[in-house]
Amino acid sequence: MRAIRHNFEFRASFSDLDEGLGILHQSIERLRSALGRSADDRSLMLFETALGEIGGNVLTHGRPAGADRPVEYALRFEGGMVEASLTDSGQAAHEHLSREMPGHESERGRGLAIARSLLDELGYERDGDVNRWRLVKRL
Amino acid sequence: MALEVETRQVENGVTVVAPTGRLDVAGAPALKDAISEAVKNGPPRVVIDMGGISFVDSTGLGSVISALKQVRGSQGELRLAAPNQQARVVLELTTLDRVFPYYATVEEALTGF
Repeated sequence: MRAIRHNFEFRASFSDLDEGLGILHQSIERLRSALGRSADDRSLMLFETALGEIGGNVLTHGRPAGADRPVEYALRFEGGMVEASLTDSGQAAHEHLSREMPGHESERGRGLAIARSLLDELGYERDGDVNRWRLVKRL
Repeated sequence: MALEVETRQVENGVTVVAPTGRLDVAGAPALKDAISEAVKNGPPRVVIDMGGISFVDSTGLGSVISALKQVRGSQGELRLAAPNQQARVVLELTTLDRVFPYYATVEEALTGF
């Protein structure tokens, strides 16, 4: 059996919205640097855009008032694929998953549609009382 | 980095709103506040200078749609200038580039405005 080699791994947990979003973008910067990609690398930019959408949702809807459980985040790169996972303790999100892109007048509701269209895979599962999100893209 | 917004009047009466940082779910309220101020004094002509915005998410985009509604509600006009590659991708993906024709620079947005 061949040993699995992780080319890149980053882990963090956070609770604050601005801090959490900052950490997500920092993790992409570290990955960009580790892979030697340029600042305008398109596939990494598209992945970061999807990550910003799911991360923003998790940090707003996934942190119910009074919740003391932080969001758990991991970013990995292996075999040409980047994978991010986010775990939050908010309400189940099944009903939002198939949301289509709303019309031009709408000020909200585009996040999941954007993320879906930019990723090779957007996974979601309800595991007990937590939500687990998985974002995958070939770079 | 939290969004910082600078507003300035240019000589032909146009208001240039220049946010710096991430226009995302954390930063969007600051842009909304700046636009609310800009529309207070009569029919506004507003350019949002996106040159200092490093990243846009859907909530940030929602604040630009809100800005458009506010400005048009005051019989004004809104133009976007200098979005970076990531912002252009989000505008095109959501087909909002059809609603917000954007200009490469603030100077171009001001021409004939």
